[in-house]
Amino acid sequence: MPALRLSSILCLFALLLAPAQADVLPSWLRFWKNTPAAKPAKAEPKRVSVAAFAGGTGTSARQALVAELTTTREFQITEEKPDFIITGNSVGGRITGKVANASGKELLDRTYAAPGLDENAKALADDVILTITGKPGLATSRIVFVSDKSGSKQVYLCDPDGKEVLQVTHHSHGAVSPTLNADGTAVAYTSYSNGFPVVQWMDLGQGWERTVTDTPGSSFGAAFSPDGQRLALVMSFLGNPEIFVTDLTTSTAACISDTTGAPSSPAWHPDGKQVIFADDRGDGPRLYVAEVPATNQTEARLIRWRTGYSFCTDPEFSPDGHSVAFTTRIGGELAVVVKGWPNGPAKVIQNGGASHPSWSPNGRSLCYAQHGNLYVHSLASGLRHLVLEKHGQISEPRWMK
Amino acid sequence: MSSALPRFILTVPLALLLSACEHLPELPRLGGEQEPNVVFALGTRDGFKSPLEGALKPACPALGFDDESYSVTGAHKKTLAPLIADWPKSKPRFLIAGHTPPGLPEDFARSLSERRAQAVRQHLIENGVEAANLQTVGYGYDSPPASSVVIVYQQQ
Repeated sequence: MPALRLSSILCLFALLLAPAQADVLPSWLRFWKNTPAAKPAKAEPKRVSVAAFAGGTGTSARQALVAELTTTREFQITEEKPDFIITGNSVGGRITGKVANASGKELLDRTYAAPGLDENAKALADDVILTITGKPGLATSRIVFVSDKSGSKQVYLCDPDGKEVLQVTHHSHGAVSPTLNADGTAVAYTSYSNGFPVVQWMDLGQGWERTVTDTPGSSFGAAFSPDGQRLALVMSFLGNPEIFVTDLTTSTAACISDTTGAPSSPAWHPDGKQVIFADDRGDGPRLYVAEVPATNQTEARLIRWRTGYSFCTDPEFSPDGHSVAFTTRIGGELAVVVKGWPNGPAKVIQNGGASHPSWSPNGRSLCYAQHGNLYVHSLASGLRHLVLEKHGQISEPRWMK
Repeated sequence: MSSALPRFILTVPLALLLSACEHLPELPRLGGEQEPNVVFALGTRDGFKSPLEGALKPACPALGFDDESYSVTGAHKKTLAPLIADWPKSKPRFLIAGHTPPGLPEDFARSLSERRAQAVRQHLIENGVEAANLQTVGYGYDSPPASSVVIVYQQQ
């Protein structure tokens, strides 16, 4: 009998100390997760040389490019022992840029011929950042949001600095709940133009609009899939609100939630196979994840994701799929939280009324609305800056992915 | 052997008790929302007018809701009773519109207001109003009134 007890104790210790089992044990057993791990060495900024640009607008083009690269804090602009060399020329605002590594191998050679020099410099900067770091730049990315500046809620676009603000919709009775597709060429939103909520999408290049759903009840909360071919959204024509995935090419829709509650704000995992959403089944909104079936023959698998918070809405996966940002309620006020997916600690990013977080394309920042203003919050530095204020009451920001 | 018998006596009834628990009827959730037995899909919206397009006449006083609840209460039923009693006379059509106050996350507010409107619709159906005569919409706080109410509008 003592031998049995001893072996039981040894088994228990083995179970407790086996890190491979961390995901299947309750959190109170996972004490080793809190032990501080060795921090990875901080990556040195890449040394980049930007040579003088030839051509009439070469000097201005180089200045704009250096300004964009400096803003990212990813690069050290230097002529001494550069890891990468940028050369180029610019005539009449048109820019040609080249990137080579230290051994002279050409990595990028592209010409940018948009009407404005700044626009071309930003596009070149984003391509340089992607070429060197492997992560997308933000210079040409866009944030879509809702503002009541015109007297009714309408959809607007701006760049990550809060500049180049553009009103996208002009619907009677307003338009809300916007989302951008991955390359920023289309925006989907809920329009009240006929007095009822209808999901529409607009091609930003051509300017035409198309109705995605005009079903009885309500339709809102549209989110583009990573490939831009599908929308996840809330529709209530079945009698209760449910989460649907609709195929934009075939105009078919499949229900992926199974609830009699109040589901809202679906968002896609970057792999395009899962959708996370909030659902209030009578005890406050919590987060659920549905696996989107690949074919009509399989059912959507649904799991509840426990965050440790009793009020969770507006979830959004980070671009690498390793974290989820969402809105919660702390001390009676809305707050933005980031939590590791599927397991990981939760961190309050901003409280005091911050809501509706959305990740930057490179996953290093979040934008959110607070007290009617738009903020961008760096997750690395913890610093945030006010991007747009005094532009009506700003809400529901979404950053292009 | 001497210790095995008491353990057996304790273990067997416990196992039987646990297996019996498995077959107990499910108890109603405390504080949770009531789930309807049958949910009726919405019919066509053709011919229904929106309160955003022009003033519509409320068919009864506005139904107030607490916090994030979407349960139909006794007070709601009392308010809706005359409407239900009068419905067979002319069989009017109703648009049931849900609203919430600001301060909630916008998308959640839309879903909650739609869910409240659906709960009122369900109550009317269960009391004899034809499902095809009832439409719902959830505005959240995208349009006034910005308060936790459901308004039943009579259609012409």
